[in-house]
Amino acid sequence: MKCIKRSIALLLMLSVILTIFGGCDFGDTDSGEADTVLGNGSSVLRIISGSENAELEPILEEFAKQENIRIEMTYQGSLDIMRLLGAEEIPYDAVWPASSLWLTVGDTERRIKHAESISITPVVFGIRKSLAEELGFVGREVSVNDLLQAIQSGELRFCMTSATQSNSGASAYIGFLYALLGNPEVITEEDLQNESLKTQMKELLSGVDRSSGSSDWLKDMFLEGDYDAMVNYECLIIQANKELEARGEEPLYAVYPYDGLSIADSPLGYVDKGDDKQEELFLKLQEYLLSEDTQDEIQRTGRRSGYTGVSEKNKEVFRSDWGLQPDRVLSPIKMPASDVLFECLNLYQTDFRKPSLTVYCLDYSGSMSGTGNEQLVQAMEQLLIQENARENFLQASENEVNILIPFNDGVINTYTAEGNGSELEALYDEVKNQEVGGGTDMYTAAVRGIEMLKEYDLSQYTPAIILLTDGQSGGSLYDFEDAYEDLGAEVPVFSIMFGDADETQLEELAQYTNARVFDGRENLTEAFRSVKGYN
Amino acid sequence: MKTKLIGLGILAAVIIAAVAYVFISNNQTVAEINGYVGGEKIGLLEDEEVQDILRDRYKLVIDYAKAGSIDMITADATGRDFLFPSNQTALELYKQINGDPVKSEIILNTPIVLYTRSAVAQALVDSGIASQTDGVYTVNMVKLTEAIEAGTAWADIGLPQLYGSITVGTTDPTKSNSGNMFAGLLANTLCGGVADESNLPAILPRLQSIFQKLGYMESSSSDLFDQFLKTGMGAKPLIAGYENQLLEFAAENPDTWEQIKEDIVMMYPTPTVWSSHVYIALDEAGTAGIDALLDEDIQRLAWEKHGFRTGVYDTPTDAEHFGVSGIANEITQVAPMPDANTMDQIIKALS
Repeated sequence: MKCIKRSIALLLMLSVILTIFGGCDFGDTDSGEADTVLGNGSSVLRIISGSENAELEPILEEFAKQENIRIEMTYQGSLDIMRLLGAEEIPYDAVWPASSLWLTVGDTERRIKHAESISITPVVFGIRKSLAEELGFVGREVSVNDLLQAIQSGELRFCMTSATQSNSGASAYIGFLYALLGNPEVITEEDLQNESLKTQMKELLSGVDRSSGSSDWLKDMFLEGDYDAMVNYECLIIQANKELEARGEEPLYAVYPYDGLSIADSPLGYVDKGDDKQEELFLKLQEYLLSEDTQDEIQRTGRRSGYTGVSEKNKEVFRSDWGLQPDRVLSPIKMPASDVLFECLNLYQTDFRKPSLTVYCLDYSGSMSGTGNEQLVQAMEQLLIQENARENFLQASENEVNILIPFNDGVINTYTAEGNGSELEALYDEVKNQEVGGGTDMYTAAVRGIEMLKEYDLSQYTPAIILLTDGQSGGSLYDFEDAYEDLGAEVPVFSIMFGDADETQLEELAQYTNARVFDGRENLTEAFRSVKGYN
Repeated sequence: MKTKLIGLGILAAVIIAAVAYVFISNNQTVAEINGYVGGEKIGLLEDEEVQDILRDRYKLVIDYAKAGSIDMITADATGRDFLFPSNQTALELYKQINGDPVKSEIILNTPIVLYTRSAVAQALVDSGIASQTDGVYTVNMVKLTEAIEAGTAWADIGLPQLYGSITVGTTDPTKSNSGNMFAGLLANTLCGGVADESNLPAILPRLQSIFQKLGYMESSSSDLFDQFLKTGMGAKPLIAGYENQLLEFAAENPDTWEQIKEDIVMMYPTPTVWSSHVYIALDEAGTAGIDALLDEDIQRLAWEKHGFRTGVYDTPTDAEHFGVSGIANEITQVAPMPDANTMDQIIKALS
């Protein structure tokens, strides 16, 4: 009798164990890094996506609720996603860059499965309507050269994302290259050696008012600031216009350069790690997104979806008084072959873009001692040591300026490095050798940064202050505001939140300077990389 | 009492054994094999009916990673049981690098075709590059190649809404099969016969310039076809692909097909080349896939639902169910592909 009982007990135990493991979700690990969490089920689908898809969150949330799962969205530029695909481990279940180009180029290990385009949207110029009219861009076909002339004459200034971080910026930049090269069949390596190209492209990119590492944030920044135009996705121009109209402000007019157009096809792909359950969940999500109803809903956000173009009913979203052309045949330029493409991106980073003028205000207060300081040094190594920076297309250009201001309760010292040579790498030695101690006052450091910026002609640079702090700051925002007013230029103060930093203080600074706060608590190196992508 | 205990002990042992047997048989008698597969066959391998036959009749689960036909030959195949590229050149290349595989066999066939939109098809017909007989479109490869080489603009043949000049979008010929085969087809056209090592040097520069004009190319046929359908006439006015891609799409998405069928046109190049999907077993476990995929019912499903012409369905009598107009009954104008060495030189020249 005992035997039976024991066997039954064994069987029971076995089945209990099996149930526990069978029901356990192995896909569920840390969730701290996601930018947005949708739904609250126990199964999790982690997606790394271009920021333009943030606009689709309500649609994703609907699915998360319906299936009782959680969708964790992490937003990065498409080129960052491309680089991630080359990494040993991809800590996501799905990738959703803006264009399949980056997926194909990045997926060298062939881990991406089931990739399918969810919607398409072209990259266009959104120009303040009255200005577009003034420039004669309304109601006619516009070439990239027409835009270039307006930029060269100083009549048109614009914002665009960084070509080495984000798809929309890269697409626009390739369109510029074609135009400046006289619209060849396709860009070749030899074309890029052209000296006059360098001069012209520099001139053109000097018309860039502000840059950003991702498209959706470019739109947000545009809405916060006072700019004339931005290069962005058609769908984000529509979103921006909705907001502008709600505020009673002038909308943007969409210009489709006929010889410089490119299309983002928004592919959603599965990262295959051999977990059948996650794969099933992914396919379910994809099926939902591609279903007729959802495609219609996606179309109503200003994306072109489905096989048959924009439906009659949804044409009201693509308003003609905003310059939108839902029926336009989108005939894009050819992307160059991948080796040429990377050469283009390298040139953008080192030769063509407006040089950055970056002030690093770094916290060396006592609380940073130990791992905090170690992480800081590691992160700066990725930016300042050019061999590392190159891997992420973050290498410095020959005319750029980097200023280092280590601080505690006061400014400890200041160092300036010009160019991308030994001075820059020497800056890293200062970062490494500086000792920690004392209290925290980030405002004093930021004020000093502002003062140092006054010595430069800011129109020749993309200026930014990058501030890292790990604690509640003493000092006062008012002092900073006074100095900022006095500077009379919009310089974003990006901050990286670390340790016990006070998010409210940082948000105040970001809001005041039309910048944003990055969370460095999970991964400081990643945060520095992201912020650097913004200038 | 003692016998009773022994009896109960035996009973318990039997129960445990039975439970264990069920567990083990569920997990072990179905073998899972894993390999690289060209994207155009994924629909077939994901087909539940096919998966059921594989599992029930052959105790087999076929898992895969997508890879281009040429790419997969040189890719790291550690842990893979098979390769399933889309042409015999890939097999020849495999043999040159690794020697004879454990086993290989042609499983499916499909001709290389061109896909376009009705407005473009009409313009191609009007300009004499294409023609239509009994509802079947054919493309004169000589004339098409001439137009491409001459840099004729789309606007020149009456399509001002398209930017740039006439090209055929293909996958990267150095990575993927449909592009590779289209390169072979172009090489044949340029030399006016079948390209071989004697006539290749004369035509290579021309071939290089045709492909250089394409810039960035997709590495998978299925991605290219998906983009052709979704990004519209402007982005991909004319692409090279497999006949089966459209047939499969129409069979799997009848509603969508109904909405777009007026606008999508399939054209047969004259001559065309056959894509023979050959299964290469890398190890003993992998060989099981060959017999299984040659199963009569799987071959039938391969035609009916996925549009592959198979041994039995080479000249199918039942193409109506696809609802696709212009399917050629018989593919008569077929040229052989250049041999593997010639293709290897072409790939190298285009790399």
